[in-house]
Amino acid sequence: MYIASVIVTVCANIISVIGLALLTGYTGMFSLGHAGFMAIGAYGAVLLNRYYAVPYFLALISGGVMAAFVSVIIGYPTLRNKLRGDYFAICMLGFGTVVRLILNNLNNPVINGALGLPGIPKLTSLWSALFIMAILVYFMWNFVNSQYGKNCVAVQQQEVAAEMMGVSLVKTKLLSLVISAFYCGVAGGVLGFWLQYIAPASFSDTRSNDFLATLVTGGTNSITGPFLAAILLTTMLEYLRFLVNWRLVVYGLLYILVMRFRPEGIMGYKEFSLKKTILFFKEFPQNMGKLKGKWVGFWESRNRN
Amino acid sequence: MTSSEKILEVNDLVIRFGGLTAIDGVNMHINKGEFVGLIGPNGAGKTTFFNSITGNVTPSEGSISFNGESLLKKSPDVISHMGISRTFQNIRIFPKMTVLENVSLPMHSKPSYNFFSAMLGLPSVKKADKIIQEKAMDFLHRLGIAEYKDYEAGTLPYGLQRRLEIARALAADLSLLLLDEPAAGMNNDECNELVELLQGIHEDFDISIMLIEHHIDVVLNLCSRIYVLNLGQLLAEGPPHEIQSNPDVIRAYLGERREGR
Repeated sequence: MYIASVIVTVCANIISVIGLALLTGYTGMFSLGHAGFMAIGAYGAVLLNRYYAVPYFLALISGGVMAAFVSVIIGYPTLRNKLRGDYFAICMLGFGTVVRLILNNLNNPVINGALGLPGIPKLTSLWSALFIMAILVYFMWNFVNSQYGKNCVAVQQQEVAAEMMGVSLVKTKLLSLVISAFYCGVAGGVLGFWLQYIAPASFSDTRSNDFLATLVTGGTNSITGPFLAAILLTTMLEYLRFLVNWRLVVYGLLYILVMRFRPEGIMGYKEFSLKKTILFFKEFPQNMGKLKGKWVGFWESRNRN
Repeated sequence: MTSSEKILEVNDLVIRFGGLTAIDGVNMHINKGEFVGLIGPNGAGKTTFFNSITGNVTPSEGSISFNGESLLKKSPDVISHMGISRTFQNIRIFPKMTVLENVSLPMHSKPSYNFFSAMLGLPSVKKADKIIQEKAMDFLHRLGIAEYKDYEAGTLPYGLQRRLEIARALAADLSLLLLDEPAAGMNNDECNELVELLQGIHEDFDISIMLIEHHIDVVLNLCSRIYVLNLGQLLAEGPPHEIQSNPDVIRAYLGERREGR
């Protein structure tokens, strides 16, 4: 059961990070508050299931839709007024905190304040989590390779030109925010129905930061990069448990190394392709030679300085 | 090809940035199918003028109308869909996208399918994408950069990036093309090539073009009418030979002879 638990956590993280990948990686808007959407999705799905007996899949989708709806309320005014870059990120940070604090302070029997919601039925199974993750990743893959996805990339790369070529900035940005909020909401529901307990504290800013860190490590403008990074970082967190608090140091070190040697992330602007990987290993000797050349060049340039 | 029907009309345009008046009461028009030049010393307000047409800068006073419809208070993407397209003085391609994706973009800036079908990856979506790619290839062939279609746009040399920008501007369904210094940084041979290219485009696509350029040969070869801006004001207007001999224009470019010499 321990392995299953790790896999379900990985799935939930993949769903949220892939959602964030559209907003941050493709459209180029940083968010520090996506845990807020996750909280809305989780609470929404669980409460619908508890009080209206909404079935599992429908509850997850409704939770996602609620998160998406809230993202329109927060997104439309901010994006219409052309908040971008750091300002947008901080706005989302505020949003995430506000959601958590509201949940924390609603001490009625439904929300139950800081104590959270215990006794949630265990509706998420290993297979349903894997299935939902696979479907959502497949949808996102189609989306980023469609005309919509290309418009997002254009906005990220050269906003002025994209707008002048007819891309509506507000629409494009809002759509990617809504979709990413939906993904995070669904991830919250999946996690809630697995852990059987949710509380406002499980959706803290740390979680938002983890999403962003995972995404940047995996690489922007890529689906497979964040996908692999989410698997790597989440499982690492489990396998490094024997280090207790020192595992966070390992994390910090990993981030520093990635930023120093591959600032564009593990995959960065590229997708993982099995064909190319096989080709790489077929021509292993030459490729190793190239890599060695790069390293030698790197060390020589360092020593010169 | 040139008719007297006005495609763009600008009346008493004033643009102020705080205390600075960048454009000061300019009247201008472009007829259908005309090739108009806009010249002037640095800082005359040429690019600001373009920016006000495309909706990046909001005019303080005056009116701009395109095919009889006012462009004021419209956002750049709306104006683009009305049929105005442009290139930029400092190249603004999408550097990490491929050449083909760059040129495809204006054609799908309003996607032809809804995002549910995009997520499901329906066959109709693939078909629509393919049609756009084929159209984009036509533009690449026309501009002679088809062989670079899979290159990352940012890795192309400067001259080809300029061509790519023109191709991208043409790919938008346009009737007025604004070119902001397309020959900047080009030598004489390259300029001649560009003149030929632009002449061909003007004839083939049946569009009106307004050109900002410092290479005076390029302007004189291409334009049937030239406007001269200086310090935000319209200094002169007329066919090339008149502009060449206009004393005001010569004074603005070369400075005045001092008294007593």
